[in-house]
Amino acid sequence: MLSILLNLIAALFFTGIVIRTKSKASGRKGPGIMQPIRDVYRLFRKGSVYSETTSFIFQLAPTVYFASVVMAMLVVPFGKSPGVLSFYGDFIFFAYVLALGKFFSIISALDTGSSFEGMGASREALYSMFAEPAFFILMGSLALLSGHTSFQGIFASLHIGSQISYALAALATFVLLMIAMIENSRMPIDDPKTHLELTMVHEVMILDNSGFDLGLILTAGYLKFALYGALIVNLFIGVIPYQYAIPAFFAIQFLMAVAIGLIESFMARFRMSHNPQFIVVLTSVSLLIFFGVLLILQKFV
Amino acid sequence: MIHVLLIIFIITLFYMAIANRLMTYIKVLALQGVLLFFVVFFQLSKIDPFNLAFILLETIVFKSLAVPIFLSYLLKRNNITREAEPFLPNFVSLVITTSIVVVNILIATVIKDDHLDKIFFVVALSTLFFGLYLIATRRKIITHVMGYMVIENGVFVLSLAIGNEMPLLVNLGIMLDIFASVLILGIFMNKIGDVFKDVDVDQLSNLKDY
Repeated sequence: MLSILLNLIAALFFTGIVIRTKSKASGRKGPGIMQPIRDVYRLFRKGSVYSETTSFIFQLAPTVYFASVVMAMLVVPFGKSPGVLSFYGDFIFFAYVLALGKFFSIISALDTGSSFEGMGASREALYSMFAEPAFFILMGSLALLSGHTSFQGIFASLHIGSQISYALAALATFVLLMIAMIENSRMPIDDPKTHLELTMVHEVMILDNSGFDLGLILTAGYLKFALYGALIVNLFIGVIPYQYAIPAFFAIQFLMAVAIGLIESFMARFRMSHNPQFIVVLTSVSLLIFFGVLLILQKFV
Repeated sequence: MIHVLLIIFIITLFYMAIANRLMTYIKVLALQGVLLFFVVFFQLSKIDPFNLAFILLETIVFKSLAVPIFLSYLLKRNNITREAEPFLPNFVSLVITTSIVVVNILIATVIKDDHLDKIFFVVALSTLFFGLYLIATRRKIITHVMGYMVIENGVFVLSLAIGNEMPLLVNLGIMLDIFASVLILGIFMNKIGDVFKDVDVDQLSNLKDY
């Protein structure tokens, strides 16, 4: 339960901090931290407009997308305390329940019949597909290292002790951060600020959503950021008692938000053709983590 | 610590596989020199201080200062365009580099020899094959020199695994290699740069009798 509560609090502030960092970095004052939440609140009070060419899938998809993110949030633990659901292999559940939500948002984008939305959907599917092996190799090697197959077991028994495991933790943080950027369609892969349909990835898919549905999709995005942040936090807090772990949680989430804001301020979006190779680099790095784990376990040397 | 440095060394190979500009290659070569400097520092703790100082000086001065500066001088001197111009797309390069590393790790696990330090073996062989791959798939002559430098680094890593027993011999050979390769190819480059404006391997195929 604790993890859900903390995730919700983190999700309230996360996107606001990212936007605030970006405006500070470009010399503006920027909107308040709570502005994204106010936007969503405004959207939630509105009704939705549906195009006549769409079918029931388009109306169903935002709900499924939001529900998938909430389901994924249930399995994420917080240090010693497990998530609401915790079972063997729940990291596979985590990845595929998010994939289910993504699948529905893709078919709803195709459902509108707009050529731009189809293009965005195809790109989003491609990038998620490339990011998947990286996530599974990473979680698989962590499972191998700790000897457990649930999130809670993995993170609770992960000992970061020797120098090589520091390196592995740094690499794992990098991979998880980059997967979070890909899954949330943020800067190096996709530009959330762009106004040209040809260069959009995620934004073009939700062009036809309005009102309540758009609010659901945006909220799901905020929650997803906090989710991946929580995974990164879990890498480090392990068995630390709560009075230190909870401040550490917020500190790391804050640092991650600031880091994302800085990356978005100082990097340009990659060319579309360069994105797949960037994402495959993550898979290569996860492979290195895998062999590092073999090295620690003495299975290799 | 050595393991961490060697893992970073492999990551530099991945970076080199997808880099676009020649200056990036040179910077990565310099970074590899620095990494090797620290590997030497931690690995060769048993040899006498004079030899250690010599090897450290060689890695830091030649691998990470002299050669990169010389190569960037060559770039400016010959007005070589900054793109690397690979024959294959970068994506394919990355997949091939990853599979080189994986295959080497598989080879190392198959070999059952107690005297072999496997992580050195894997890093050295991957670097070697990656250097060959770099030479085979890039269009410009100067990238051949860089691929050769990468191969040299691989051989150096391999020699570090046994460096505690026979230090000076191995390193003299490597330093000679560095000198020979860079000087010969540098002069070669200077000549070609003066004659043709564009230094492209494809143009060498025009040198034939009609």
